[in-house]
Amino acid sequence: MARGATMKVETHKVARLHAILWGIFSLGGMIAAFLLPVMIYMTAIAYPFSLWPFNGTKDPSFLIAGHLLGAVFVFVTVAGSLYHGIFRFQSALTEVGLLRYRRALEAVGYFIIFVGIIVLGYYLLRWFLNGAIA
Amino acid sequence: MVREWTSLFVALYSLLMIYGLSLWANGSSADFLSFLKNPAVIGFSTVALVFTMFHAVTWFYLLGAVSPIKIGRSTTKPWQALVLNLILLIIISYLAIWLVVLR
Repeated sequence: MARGATMKVETHKVARLHAILWGIFSLGGMIAAFLLPVMIYMTAIAYPFSLWPFNGTKDPSFLIAGHLLGAVFVFVTVAGSLYHGIFRFQSALTEVGLLRYRRALEAVGYFIIFVGIIVLGYYLLRWFLNGAIA
Repeated sequence: MVREWTSLFVALYSLLMIYGLSLWANGSSADFLSFLKNPAVIGFSTVALVFTMFHAVTWFYLLGAVSPIKIGRSTTKPWQALVLNLILLIIISYLAIWLVVLR
């Protein structure tokens, strides 16, 4: 009886964790859909080809160093897109015959997400504390 | 399934940006800027932009299919959500550029 109740609590915990992870995934999807295209345009097309808005004196380093809002924009866009992309890709891999490696894929996926976000946050925080971000 | 594979480009571009920022953190902003001008990075990012747009369009369509809004007797169609969100994408993109670069 007690074992059944414990299992029920565990199932609820897992279900709640899944709901949270899928919720963050959806948020990441919105970020990747609304903010990532403009970021790729600015860094990969506008800057190298001197197109608007980088056809003057500004360059993509201004995205981070020019304004705190820019640094927040970079963090939210990159972190949200990284989470969404990795989370969806590792679950897609389980749908193409790699289901038995699900645990390993999840572990690698979450490791990349965790390390990526920590490293990104560390750089931005370091620049902010150094006064490099205006 | 194509939609799921495009998420790989979303993730890889994010990792590429983190790597570019690490060049800046361990060197100077010039390293980051020359990294952005690398033809391989431009090529990959351009492909990533195409896949990201595909990802965005299918995401907007899915939003309309999963949560249609009831207005009076009629219910919104997925393509209506797609058009509305594409307009929002243009507005948000311009606002983002204005807020972080032009202001």
